[in-house]
Amino acid sequence: MNAAAFLRRLAGRPWLWAYVAAIAVWIVTILFTGGRGAGEVLTAAFTFATFSVIVGIGQMYVVTLGPGNVDLSIPATITLAGAVATKVMDTQDGMILAGLAVALACGVGVGIVNYALIWLLRIPPIIATLSSSFLIQSTAIAYGRGIRIKPPPMLADFTTAQVFGMPVLAICIIALAAVMELVLRRTLYGRWVTAIGQNIRAARLAGIDVGRTRFAAYVMSAVFAGLCGYLLSGFSGGSSLSMGEEYLLTSIALVVIGGSSVAGGNSNVPGLWGAALFLFLVVTMLNTYGFGAGTRYLATGLIIIAVIVAASARRPAR
Amino acid sequence: MTRLIGTVSLLALVAALGAGSALADTKDKKIALSNNYAGNSWRQAMLRSWDKVTKPAVTAGIVAAADPFTTAENQVTEQAAQIQNLVLQGYNAIVINSASPDALNGAVKEACDAGVTVVSFDGIVTEPCAWRIAVDFKQMGKDEITFLKEKFPSGGNVLEIRGLAGVFVDDEISKGIHEGVAENPQFKIVGSVHGDWDQAKAQAAVAGILPSLPDDIVAVVTQGGDGYGAAQAFKAAGRKMPTIIMGNRQDELAWWKEQKDANGYETYSASIAPGVSTLAFWVAQQILDGKEVPKDLVVPFLRVDQSGLEKALETTEKGGVANVEYSAEDAEKVVGAAAKK
Repeated sequence: MNAAAFLRRLAGRPWLWAYVAAIAVWIVTILFTGGRGAGEVLTAAFTFATFSVIVGIGQMYVVTLGPGNVDLSIPATITLAGAVATKVMDTQDGMILAGLAVALACGVGVGIVNYALIWLLRIPPIIATLSSSFLIQSTAIAYGRGIRIKPPPMLADFTTAQVFGMPVLAICIIALAAVMELVLRRTLYGRWVTAIGQNIRAARLAGIDVGRTRFAAYVMSAVFAGLCGYLLSGFSGGSSLSMGEEYLLTSIALVVIGGSSVAGGNSNVPGLWGAALFLFLVVTMLNTYGFGAGTRYLATGLIIIAVIVAASARRPAR
Repeated sequence: MTRLIGTVSLLALVAALGAGSALADTKDKKIALSNNYAGNSWRQAMLRSWDKVTKPAVTAGIVAAADPFTTAENQVTEQAAQIQNLVLQGYNAIVINSASPDALNGAVKEACDAGVTVVSFDGIVTEPCAWRIAVDFKQMGKDEITFLKEKFPSGGNVLEIRGLAGVFVDDEISKGIHEGVAENPQFKIVGSVHGDWDQAKAQAAVAGILPSLPDDIVAVVTQGGDGYGAAQAFKAAGRKMPTIIMGNRQDELAWWKEQKDANGYETYSASIAPGVSTLAFWVAQQILDGKEVPKDLVVPFLRVDQSGLEKALETTEKGGVANVEYSAEDAEKVVGAAAKK
């Protein structure tokens, strides 16, 4: 009885489908290898999904704010934070925390600039964050000229460490995701973000400080991007100018595939992890089967559409 | 007043015509660089080389200007608009690293019709009125298998890392690799992933496919910019390090040196030198100078072997790419070689 009720509740969750898809793709992949490497594939998936989830959380909060809200400056912020942090740390173990602080400070700065453009100049967020991303990327280029400085050994060890095949970093970010889910569901701030996304006028009339809530979401998104840049430069042996590039579409795709509403007002954090694992595993599966690039892009697109359709069909009709 | 301006501009026109008629003189010619992308270390080195060579050339009065322009978004439409602007601004020659081999042809044709010399390099354009400085990318791919044949006469399993899907360069290098493998069936390509010429992406792609691959991979064939990422992925998976062919990036060379000192690791490294932008500059200058230059030129790629590693690493700046800048004489040599064909 209880089990049936639990299953029914589970099936109603929009994020379920991302996990179903991820597991299905994983099974198809290991069918090809006859079960060999099943664990290693999962380890790799968790390793790389971690970085997408970090920026996905920030993007999700911004998207939840309602139509037109999106942060396009994530890739540039990742690059800038990575470049500045590795330079500040200069391979010294003692500077790891200073590097983290600097990376997060980069994020705070970018977030403030983004929201200043949106609020003071009344530029739509999509344009504001796009134009600020040019400024940030140019700053990163001028700052580091693409110089790859190795991360401090302790940071490199931490970002690549594993316990029983599970990346330590992934465990930390799962905890972070859990906290951010609680913030979204159980705190006043999270309810405000959702309320603004559902109806900004009603939210304002209800006495929510819309400006401050949006400001916090944009700063949070940029800070997570900074954190991602910091960890990524530790993980991949230094920062590079193109390190953030793939995280723009990925961060938005995670929100959508994870079952959050792209129109805002209805989001969930667990879906981000499912979607991130799914996206990595799809590429791995298609690589494993040795499809050409054309087929691979086609299949990726079709699979993503299928998952989104499945997730949205389950949502109660309004 | 208007009359005065009219007279002055007429005088200026006469002066300009007079100067233009003097052949073998490019000191009043303006050359522009239209570049589609600046977001990686190779392109940064390319732009630095351009500055390093063209600034003294402008100071010495060889040309009047040599200004680099880079588009922000790596978009064809944006670069086409940029080329149109450069024509309107009165540049005599435009040196292009193109976002696409054919999508810019319309803008390039317009520039040619306006009497502007167009020289494309690295990312070349197919419009017949433009000059092309290309690398034999197919040969570059084939050379990788030739090297492996000597190192592993009995062959083995090979992992291929490709570049950016849909780009001409990626197709050509990959074609060369596959041709090489077809001629040497002792090698087998067991997996192929796209690393987009980027360490981080190559690392993720290799880490994803590795678990499904056999344990005895002898080599990784690459396209440059992806070797260090591949090495990281093999290391993380605890696999035996295969022979990874490198692409002249400083981090790749530094890693190779580390391995060479630790266990005598052997490989080689090849790529197109970012300084090819300076070769394109000199070719444009010579065309403006009235020299006969064939439309299709081939530039050799820069190769680093086991014995030349230390020297290459020394001259490559941190985070950069092994590089050479070309001189006017080098350009003459390349032109001469093409004319003989």
